[in-house]
Amino acid sequence: MTEPKKRRGCLGCSFPILIIILVIFLALTIVGFLSGAIGQEMLQKYGIDITFPSWMTIEKPAPHLPAPELFHVLGLPITNTMIASWITVIVLVIISVIVTRRMKIVPGRLQTLFEALLGWLFDLCKSIAGDANGRRFFPVIATIFLFVFLNAWLSLIPGFGSIETKEYALIPEDAHIETIPAEGNQPEHKVVLIDHKEYEIVDVDGKEMMEKRNELIRGANTDVNTTMALAVISFIFVAYFGFKTLGISWLRQYFNFGPFFRSLGKAFKGKLDFMGIFSGAIDIFVGFLELLGRFITIISFTFRLFGNMTAGEILLLITAFLIPYILALPFYGLELLIGAIQAFIFAGLTLVFVTMAVTPHSEESH
Amino acid sequence: MDRWAAALRLTGVGFFVAACILGGVLAGLWIDNKLDTRPLFILLGLAVGLAVAFYGVYRMIQPVINNKQDKENGQ
Repeated sequence: MTEPKKRRGCLGCSFPILIIILVIFLALTIVGFLSGAIGQEMLQKYGIDITFPSWMTIEKPAPHLPAPELFHVLGLPITNTMIASWITVIVLVIISVIVTRRMKIVPGRLQTLFEALLGWLFDLCKSIAGDANGRRFFPVIATIFLFVFLNAWLSLIPGFGSIETKEYALIPEDAHIETIPAEGNQPEHKVVLIDHKEYEIVDVDGKEMMEKRNELIRGANTDVNTTMALAVISFIFVAYFGFKTLGISWLRQYFNFGPFFRSLGKAFKGKLDFMGIFSGAIDIFVGFLELLGRFITIISFTFRLFGNMTAGEILLLITAFLIPYILALPFYGLELLIGAIQAFIFAGLTLVFVTMAVTPHSEESH
Repeated sequence: MDRWAAALRLTGVGFFVAACILGGVLAGLWIDNKLDTRPLFILLGLAVGLAVAFYGVYRMIQPVINNKQDKENGQ
């Protein structure tokens, strides 16, 4: 048998193809750098005037924190982040149908991927919560993880944040109108400022109207409502399992009036127990702190996810504006990592809290 | 204890402390604005927030500390 002839090349490509790819890569990097805000400023500084066509330059980003309402269904406002979360749900359902429809003993690629991911999560649940509890908690923990994870990763797909809807509205009479002088590719235009938001004034059938542009879909994790809903679900999940497992003694962690009133009762019978009353009062105070801590966990869950995801989105917008194309790519990689880490933290912390809730207080401290 | 569990517990601490302090101060500010008693409830809110933060952090890291002590005693 003759040995196959070894092809010369690098990274699976032949040298000519590699050189072509490198040249394209380099050209895109240079063009991207020059057409971005930093490059344009540098060119202007050195008196070089290169005007790029408008499709090559990127508009100055204007991120808005509250998700805009796109339309109403039965009086309920539908925001762009809600549409994104529905897309996530649909994608999750489709993936689960595809993966589980034809399960094989010798799995295919997709089945292996999901078996590895869910197997790892299942092992994590069992190692933190124990065998029996790990099995009980796994469905909710895995759902939270997959939802947050897919929300984060789907929002990096082109189309999220870049497809816009346009709507024309009459300019309010008391609105503040500003004229922006011509700059670069943009001619002189008028804008109206309402609630710190800029709307461009355009001519529609000879009438001046303000143009409301909204993103059609935006990453669901960048809306504080989504993250708070998830945090409340996680809170209810923890409370439900805590109460189901420990019963009344779970509530006693928060409302521990027993020792105080018992000591007080003894005092009425003539046996004054100062230490008992004092430690009873401390128990009540500690219970109060514990209860407040539970509710504050909702806030910390909400803002951890919302803050990280929103900051990531703004970071991507700004890097794409400053240095478009190739040099903005490492930040996409960073966002992939952050999305996975945040999903893991959200699901993992829920798991830790629910494990704490089903473990009796006395057992935990020993 | 599992390394992941320890790491997750410690990850939760930072935002929890921030949320406690901010939550306390903002709740105090809201009550102060309603009752016109500034800065009484802001300070009270800060104190309660700090207390919750200290207690919450203690509860969160307690198993990690216990685990370390158990290991040291075992050795």
